[in-house]
Amino acid sequence: MTTRDISLVALMAAVIVALGLVPAIPLSAGVPITLQSMGVMLAGLILGPKRGAAAVLVVIALVALGLPVLSGGRGGLGVFVGPTAGFLFGWVLAAFVAGFLAQVFEASEKSTLVRTVQLSGAAILGGIVVLYACGILWLAFFVKMGLVKAFWVSVVFTPGDLVKAIAAALITVQVRRAVAIERK
Amino acid sequence: MIASLARPGASLLHRTPAARKLAGLALAATVLFFVEDARLLAGAVLVGLVAARSTGATFAAIGRDLKGPALVLAVLGLVDWWLIDGTTALVVVLRLGAIALLAHAVTVTTTTAELTEVMERLFLPAERLGLLDASRAALTVTLAIRFVPLITQEAREIRAAQAARGLEGSILALAVPLLVRIVVRAETLADAIDARGFPPDRSSSGRDQETNERPRSP
Amino acid sequence: MSDTTPESAGRAPVSGAMGLSQTIVFSDVSVVRDGRIALDRVSIGFEEARIGIVGLNGSGKSTLLRAMIGLVKPSAGTITVDGRDAVGEARAVRRTTGLLFQNPDDQIVMPIVAEDLAFGLKNHGFSRAEIAVRVAGALDRLGIAGLSERRIHELSGGEKQLVALAGVLALAPKTVLFDEPTAHLDLKNRNRLRDVLHALPEQAIVVSHDLDLLAEFPRVVMIEAGRIVRDGSAEAVLGHYRGANR
Repeated sequence: MTTRDISLVALMAAVIVALGLVPAIPLSAGVPITLQSMGVMLAGLILGPKRGAAAVLVVIALVALGLPVLSGGRGGLGVFVGPTAGFLFGWVLAAFVAGFLAQVFEASEKSTLVRTVQLSGAAILGGIVVLYACGILWLAFFVKMGLVKAFWVSVVFTPGDLVKAIAAALITVQVRRAVAIERK
Repeated sequence: MIASLARPGASLLHRTPAARKLAGLALAATVLFFVEDARLLAGAVLVGLVAARSTGATFAAIGRDLKGPALVLAVLGLVDWWLIDGTTALVVVLRLGAIALLAHAVTVTTTTAELTEVMERLFLPAERLGLLDASRAALTVTLAIRFVPLITQEAREIRAAQAARGLEGSILALAVPLLVRIVVRAETLADAIDARGFPPDRSSSGRDQETNERPRSP
Repeated sequence: MSDTTPESAGRAPVSGAMGLSQTIVFSDVSVVRDGRIALDRVSIGFEEARIGIVGLNGSGKSTLLRAMIGLVKPSAGTITVDGRDAVGEARAVRRTTGLLFQNPDDQIVMPIVAEDLAFGLKNHGFSRAEIAVRVAGALDRLGIAGLSERRIHELSGGEKQLVALAGVLALAPKTVLFDEPTAHLDLKNRNRLRDVLHALPEQAIVVSHDLDLLAEFPRVVMIEAGRIVRDGSAEAVLGHYRGANR
């Protein structure tokens, strides 16, 4: 990892944390929806598989160090042994897969619309399919819920994450227009 | 710097070395995973409560801190009760509750500095296994800690500026500038890190690199 | 090089006398960045106590500074600092040549002031005891000893720039490069930095849009499209620069 990689990874980790602290929809009544999981998708889509996954690992390190960096001010070791830990660990794979697919699709990029669709696909496959697989597996076995039930409990959150995936794709397209950045 | 979840105090747990607490927690969590007896788990919850209370926190404070996880547990318990049966639900809730209390006790009595030291010690064998470069990994984590307050502030400023233009609901209007800024900043930051001599040359630590002398006090 | 009498102490420093300067030589240096020519066959030497560099945005002045410590590799030509190659011996060059960036938030790396000052020293292999001494010394020197245990994000822009400078000075360099040091500072802090700069015994090479900062310099260089187009006294070169950009 070059010094520039270190800088990008650390700054992206900070963005993931910041997105957990700023509400997605300022006036949403009830549950504050944050964009932290979108930050994870963006890490992969923008930085690529290795650096994106590294950014997530840094966030996990911050949690382990007892810092309240997960949305809702959560942090500390309890997160790693709780029911949602699978989603946290799954973030690493999510960023990697999203970044990997973004790289694969890069070669065949054509119009903005196609690019956006491809990146949405990458975000969905990584940030939803792979992520939920990890989260559901953990929930099923750690909480002894069984795969099917864990699936149905988790799938409730997919609509929001679908919106975030598409947003992540749109954001990535715009960011790459503004600055040149390769995927690693 | 982001405020850590640790609280000052002088309890036994506060004085226990971090590595021991972490190992103990990992062991406890593993063992409890295999316990199915609700009575034993209830005992574990009691142990957890005692541990949490011993840190100096009042029960009220513990309740406040664990409000979120407690809610998740309650929902999980209800779901398990509905989808499976009451006994399973009870066992799950008790197990996770015990672990959450023990983890909380460790988190509250261990400072970020102590945990960072453990982390850096864990990096060394990982480096020998070729998994990472210890000094680079440590710097990356520290940089993230350094930049979280700044990036969070910038996010809020962008939000405020967008609100003035009626765009406060727009996710793109927040995320795009935020990300563009960090990509630009990364260039200069990398230059600054290089300019300040990173990475350290480990072959001659303790020696002044230019003159190869041991530094003298002025 | 200029020696000065005590009456003007605080205005122009006596750097050469303490060995606090280096000879930096560019030999036919060209730098290409992102397909653009940033430096175009530049040949020049710097050894004075104070050198100013002016030019419009994109003229190559920042590239010139960065090349001096090997942050930018020339596509042709060589740069030496007291005989050492800026690229091949970058580590040794960076040990004696510091660089202060425009925005302190781009160069402060640690969450706490004292830790950040220690960063450069640790990288260059100083012992813990030596680091403690030098950190305290650098903070004292700039009058910010009280900031030692403060958190970076609680500091003002001016304080952060001083912390960044203290980090550079802690290494006791012979030369300090300044890349638009007052660009992000308000008037009060700009004046504070100007005073610090004037009293600096180390050699200083300063890129700046703030022309008054360079007014007392013995030598100012003007760069345009990657080429040195003017080189002389502050009065002459700044006068020309102002005139050309009215």
